[in-house]
Amino acid sequence: MTSELSTLRALQSGDPTAFSELVREHHRALLATASAIVGIDNAEECLQNAWIKAHQALPQFEGKSSLRTWLTRIVINESRMLLRKTRREVPLELDESQHPLADRFREGGHWSKPPATWHDESPDGLLMERELADCLSRVLTAMPAQQRAMLELRDVSGLDFDEICNELAVTASNARVLLHRARTQLFRLVDHYQETGEC
Amino acid sequence: MLKCREVVHQADALLAGELSRRERFVLQMHLIICRHCRRYIRQFEWLLRAIPRMHGSASEAEISSVLKAVENAEKSTFK
Repeated sequence: MTSELSTLRALQSGDPTAFSELVREHHRALLATASAIVGIDNAEECLQNAWIKAHQALPQFEGKSSLRTWLTRIVINESRMLLRKTRREVPLELDESQHPLADRFREGGHWSKPPATWHDESPDGLLMERELADCLSRVLTAMPAQQRAMLELRDVSGLDFDEICNELAVTASNARVLLHRARTQLFRLVDHYQETGEC
Repeated sequence: MLKCREVVHQADALLAGELSRRERFVLQMHLIICRHCRRYIRQFEWLLRAIPRMHGSASEAEISSVLKAVENAEKSTFK
């Protein structure tokens, strides 16, 4: 039995420890998703409602998607309801930012400042260093809303492109550009941190 | 001849397996001769594997707050 399946069995049997562990594992990522859609001020309320709905709906969850994806869909629905209630529009500002690595190339298109050699031998913990956490949080907060939403929904929550394009009302090609920009911003941050120890 | 800037733009599609055979061949030819781009692709892949865990785990206070909200909602349902 896979670990996700055994977790699901425990959750559906009403095991309170399993539910606490579910919250421990997914809460922060879901909060980030809600923040990207409804803004940081409304994200907590939205997520609290989402956890209540998720707890009620767990017995009916069939496990056709991962728990993270299922929880993310609940958060998206709660975000939509909150936006409707407060008559707010989903932020749709255009992303006119420069490519995050634009200044790293010569005019001819070759590296002028190539990537540093990262010290970590594996991706485990790459973004978890305490010194990096504040910088990461600042970069995510400053990111254009659609870029951030793409990153959270695709890379953190694992939703597929079609579903995200539908949720964010963007075309498939725009979605790929938004995701690429978000990822390369993080690359630039980590690269600088790995090279200098600062960010 | 592919430029390094184009390798960066195609990295997402390469790692997602979305490049055509020809595009992948051209990119791989570039990677054979360019160590900077090889490093970029390797480290970009690390980053993509790290992103799902970047928000970390909830604190005990956050967990308690959620459990309390769920418990209160249950109580009001069964009242």
